[in-house]
Amino acid sequence: MKNISIYSVLLLLTMVVWSCDHDTETFDGPNLVDRFGPFNILADLEVNRTTVDFGAGEDVRMTARFNKNVNFVIRITGMESGAVKTIEAFDSELNASNAIWDGGTTELPLFREEMCRIELIIPEENNLTQEAMVEIVSTRVYEGSLFTDFEDNPGANIELGNFEFELTNETGRRSDGTAAQGDWYYLFEGTDDVVDNFFVGLININSTITGNTYAPVPTTVPEDLWFNAFLFADGGPHGIAVIQFVYDSNDSGAFEDGQDQTFQIDGDYPLGFEGWRHINHTMADIGMTEEEVSKIVAIRALLISDLNSQPDPPLQVDFGLDFLTFTSGGPLEL
Amino acid sequence: MKLYISNSFFGLLLLLGLSMPLQAQDGSSLPSREDASADEKVQFNGLGRTILNSTSIDGALLDTDSTTARNLQDGEFLLDVAINAQPNDKTEVQGILRLRNEFGGFFGAGVTVEIRELWARGLIGNTVRYRVGDFDHVMTPYTFFNPDQEGIVNQPTIFQPQNDVIDYELFYGDGNTRRLQGANLDFGLDFAQILQEVKADAFIARIRGTDFFTTPTRFTGGGQLDFATRRFGNDSTGVRADIGINWSNVWDDLQSGNATTGIRNDVISVDFNVELYENESLAVQFRGEAGQSNLEQRDGEKVTAEEDDTFLEAGVAVQLKKSKLGFSATYLDIGPDFFSIGAQSKRVDFNRQMSFYDRIGNDRRLRMPTLFDLGRDRALYTFQLSDQLMAYDPRYANVMPYGQATPNRSGIQIGVNYGDNESPLEAEATVSLLEEIRGSGTFELKSFTQIRLAADVHINRLADWKRTTVLTLGLQQEQTDRSGQDVEQVDLSSTLIEVGLEAELFDRFDLLAGARLLTAEGSDYIPEYSGFNDIEDFPSRFIADDQETLIGAGFRYRFRDNIYLTVQYQQFSLERAQDPTNDYDLRQIFAQYNMEF
Repeated sequence: MKNISIYSVLLLLTMVVWSCDHDTETFDGPNLVDRFGPFNILADLEVNRTTVDFGAGEDVRMTARFNKNVNFVIRITGMESGAVKTIEAFDSELNASNAIWDGGTTELPLFREEMCRIELIIPEENNLTQEAMVEIVSTRVYEGSLFTDFEDNPGANIELGNFEFELTNETGRRSDGTAAQGDWYYLFEGTDDVVDNFFVGLININSTITGNTYAPVPTTVPEDLWFNAFLFADGGPHGIAVIQFVYDSNDSGAFEDGQDQTFQIDGDYPLGFEGWRHINHTMADIGMTEEEVSKIVAIRALLISDLNSQPDPPLQVDFGLDFLTFTSGGPLEL
Repeated sequence: MKLYISNSFFGLLLLLGLSMPLQAQDGSSLPSREDASADEKVQFNGLGRTILNSTSIDGALLDTDSTTARNLQDGEFLLDVAINAQPNDKTEVQGILRLRNEFGGFFGAGVTVEIRELWARGLIGNTVRYRVGDFDHVMTPYTFFNPDQEGIVNQPTIFQPQNDVIDYELFYGDGNTRRLQGANLDFGLDFAQILQEVKADAFIARIRGTDFFTTPTRFTGGGQLDFATRRFGNDSTGVRADIGINWSNVWDDLQSGNATTGIRNDVISVDFNVELYENESLAVQFRGEAGQSNLEQRDGEKVTAEEDDTFLEAGVAVQLKKSKLGFSATYLDIGPDFFSIGAQSKRVDFNRQMSFYDRIGNDRRLRMPTLFDLGRDRALYTFQLSDQLMAYDPRYANVMPYGQATPNRSGIQIGVNYGDNESPLEAEATVSLLEEIRGSGTFELKSFTQIRLAADVHINRLADWKRTTVLTLGLQQEQTDRSGQDVEQVDLSSTLIEVGLEAELFDRFDLLAGARLLTAEGSDYIPEYSGFNDIEDFPSRFIADDQETLIGAGFRYRFRDNIYLTVQYQQFSLERAQDPTNDYDLRQIFAQYNMEF
């Protein structure tokens, strides 16, 4: 009896020690103070600099402190470009881990050398907003191999051809303050009302625009090589943009229509959206091989009018093109 | 049916060599084969029931409500015919055919015919009992168990007929069993030394079918090994022990359909009841259960998420036999991540649609379930196993909403009981003093106090009357507190009082009366679960300043022991100090005829 009682007590103690080991370093569910507690700003929004040289690797760091964790939005708007960078987080403070801006953008266009307004917004607190300003003295340098951003006069490196008579005089390099990057972009504008064959016009951008015979690419592995471009559309539903990559099939070092092979993405780019859009794909997506991506002799851009959806007479169609670049390992990080 | 093996060691080896020890239980609420005459190869048993309800609603909420019907009539007529056959002396099969007609259905409209139950059972080699088809099963309160429903402490007899209907329809059997569809086996071994008896049982059942796309088939299964020792020592006061090893499991079959993700929930435990001392005037027991749960989220063969936790219940019970008094003290420690699908799935599903007055008011808002609905609306109840902690109403149960297996509780339970089947007074009281182990939304911990009291006063025994006259009392008082910042503080109290009277006025003719009163005041945060026992959010502070009153009176005539007719009037009122314009009353007159044959 005595032995069994002792064993029972020992068994109980063993079980108590074993059973009372629970994970109590955190708590279950969201923090009630964050969820329902009153909100106060303990330290106002501050920016670590008034001018920033992104090109030299500088960044902008914002700080603020609250009395509880809260969802906040930092919205940075370019005063000239209209570019917008948005940072969202849930925290009780803005610090180097959640409130740092390296010059990138969330919504095109890219930032220019301009004044920018920084807004700290607390949506759950009636969109409570605090503001600061910063001036960009040089823009961020983007990765990858630039094909063209149309900032320099291309001269003979851009050839206008095929049904150009359906394009308006507005077609060409434009600098009207709406470029996605820098000051210049290329605008296509026209109506397929002369020869109703869908084509409105095209340009051939020879790789010599880069100063090389073939487009320089950061890698020749098609699966890792990404093509990027910014497309502008006004929301009209009848336009289609086509971008073709010309492989120098006959090793002539120049684009010869009918002899060199072209590649393009399936479905091309219907222009039913509004504003600038970042388009990208790998070169493997369009079926090019390692040999072929190393000999891209030109990029051809076409404006198509979708006659199947056009009224009669057909409406004008258009699109803008900017910042054609190749990146390695993934699409261009804005 | 039992093997007698003189060498207990050999018996133990034999026992462990059997991989699937199982237990058989009679899933039928009808008379079992053992009750029947051995000469009858085919028997017909069954249950007939008729319910006619007339329910009306009024009150402040209805003053401006032009859309809600003020009166509803409903009811049913049903006959369950159990066909029980014994083709040989080792096999028995039973099926229950249900014929049901909704009140108001004529000439086939509203009539349903369905199979309610099918099973077969028998003996294998005169040793192992088996049962396939429908069966009821229960293990321990932490492994596989159907916890009691909230809102009831000591049911007044007047409310029992409606509750019996719910229990019958939802297959809630005696002893907190769950209804399953599958198979089970059991056998027992007797020993001559040390061990007196070993029982083994096991079961497997399918609890969900696959949709052949994203939902895999779900199974539950498990088993128990119970060892009962002989009494150690030279006299009848020596020590003896019952020790059980329990394992329950719920898992998804990822080979079924195209589903690739599923869960696995294991619970393993050891339960024990050691009779430390017993003589004619005193019994002392050391009893409890300890174990561990494990929960895995699986994607194919890969475990994508896993959590486990432990539980412990251990205590001492002392029975003073001559004075009919019993005391118990139990320590509880149920881990915050303890998860047991088979034991934590509730009877009441507060997210279910009620079968009457589900929406009221001009804006057709959902009506919250009340004591009235818990008492009569079977649509609120389920026998399904839930793979996440189910919603609960803290006014009815905030301390242990998932029964004894409620996770994240630690503390003590002290119990006192008095009386026996011949005493004028039978009473039982339990006090639970518990605390959270891990905070909910804060590191501050909630503390819980629960007092439960149930008493039956047999007035006829006191006054030496022949006819049954019983006064029943029930009380549940709960208090939840938490300190901290203003938003962290909670202070919710609720009191549930039950009073019932059953008086046999004439031979087999009973007067029934009773009341159930609930008051709840204060506030708490009620979690929303995203899956399993993971809290996704606390939608808002739950504020209560409510009073619910349910009173009833009526008569019952017992034609025979299992045949009765009761006619009752019940009135319910809901008053909310926070929102008096939405107070309402429900009134109900109903007749229920019940016949088991």
